[in-house]
Amino acid sequence: MSKVAQRMETLKKRMRDDGNQTMMAKTAIEPRMEPSRHGGSEMNPLHGRLKFSELLSDPEVKTRWEKVRKYFFLRESTYDMSNRCNLRCDGCYYYEGEKQFAEENRDPEAWRALMQAEKARGITYVVLAGAEPSLVPELLKACFEEMPLGCIATNGVRRIDPSVGYKIHISVWGNDATSLRVRRADKLLDRQIENYRGDPRAVFVYTFTRENIGEAAEIADGLASAGCRFTFNVFSSPVGYSGPLRHDPSSLIRTREMMVKIMARHPGHVLYSPYGAAAHTHERGLHELYGCSYPRMNSSTEIGLGRSFRQFRTDLTWDRAAACCVPDTDCADCRHYAAGSAVVTARLYRHATDPRAFRSWLDYVDTYLAVWVMGYEKGENLCEEMVSPPGHAEIGKRS
Amino acid sequence: MPESKEIRERMIRIAEIIIEELKLEDITPKSFDPDMDLVDELGVDSMDLATVALVLQDEYGVFIDEDDYPKLKTVRLIAEYVQSRLQGRKDRDS
Repeated sequence: MSKVAQRMETLKKRMRDDGNQTMMAKTAIEPRMEPSRHGGSEMNPLHGRLKFSELLSDPEVKTRWEKVRKYFFLRESTYDMSNRCNLRCDGCYYYEGEKQFAEENRDPEAWRALMQAEKARGITYVVLAGAEPSLVPELLKACFEEMPLGCIATNGVRRIDPSVGYKIHISVWGNDATSLRVRRADKLLDRQIENYRGDPRAVFVYTFTRENIGEAAEIADGLASAGCRFTFNVFSSPVGYSGPLRHDPSSLIRTREMMVKIMARHPGHVLYSPYGAAAHTHERGLHELYGCSYPRMNSSTEIGLGRSFRQFRTDLTWDRAAACCVPDTDCADCRHYAAGSAVVTARLYRHATDPRAFRSWLDYVDTYLAVWVMGYEKGENLCEEMVSPPGHAEIGKRS
Repeated sequence: MPESKEIRERMIRIAEIIIEELKLEDITPKSFDPDMDLVDELGVDSMDLATVALVLQDEYGVFIDEDDYPKLKTVRLIAEYVQSRLQGRKDRDS
């Protein structure tokens, strides 16, 4: 085993051994002030940043930092599993661009070999997506047997066998009338809830479009009353899309307000944070705010996603020029939850400047881990204020 | 050119920080190969490096630019980077 693979195994083992002992943010630990090497709470004279050790001198912050950093070993790639889907939704990413024309490889052994090769190059987390993974259960099983950490993005119409222990993200795009119109699916939410009620793998993902903002509250109420956990996504237009789902500045503000309202109403069921709302409903997209780290927008192959991330098509090929978590999305309009999970998280340095920014970043990472990693439980948000992305004007003001 | 004592000591301290922050096992600061490629050989990723950079920034009081992370591929390169930052600060102060 290579040193790299050895280290990944050690980190994963440590995560398992810890058993999420730090999962509750407000554990009873003794306050332990860690004086900085240069003493007191002096600011870095060069750049006005608070020292990292000072940010961590707050026990609540330190506990959360130690909780989330155990997962820094996650290295993701994504995989289109099938070119078929049992729904046909407006604004679907899969049926844009070239990838939809790739042939399907339906051989579980080929997928098993791919997973082994991925593991060997350091990948520790897989996202199984387009078009509809639940239609190829034998491939899901093969992947899970080789790579134990991951997530499946599904429309939830067909239940995925419980033996596949990945997180399952079930896409929700509005109420029944909207689902019928946009996804050509009748009583979709009822079917989704029926399939995944009480399933610890399930996270329902409500995608805010320009048209369905007002419906979100009733959907949230329905999901919460069924005991389902959910998070938010913001519709990000495929390249060339200018239809009615595309957001405008006004709909982004209304989305943010609705997110805040739902977070207040269902704190036990919604997996989100004020900073998530700030980052994903900002007038500027994620790339402009943070600099997207996926290969499609990042030419560096030195370290991070630019080096390791691949987006495999159904024929098991990949193309660096197209590789990102939501291929064929208009990068300037990208506010996608999956993109943010990597792009915002990667900007630790920019947030480790002052207590509010760092607490907000910790909330964001804590949320993303709860959404994406089996067994990880989200703590209470550490920052209830809506902090702006680093270097940008306050939310609602033009920077 | 032979390494100065200062550089050697700095490399050991940096190795110590990396071991502590990344919770490495079976390696000591003195046995840490200063030329080992942290990314290729140890599997260090951007989040690991960002963490180490923040701690180094505290330790030495120097600014480590996010864009420079890819340059910090070995303990020796990190030590040289820190040295150049410290020297730059000294030059500005004098």
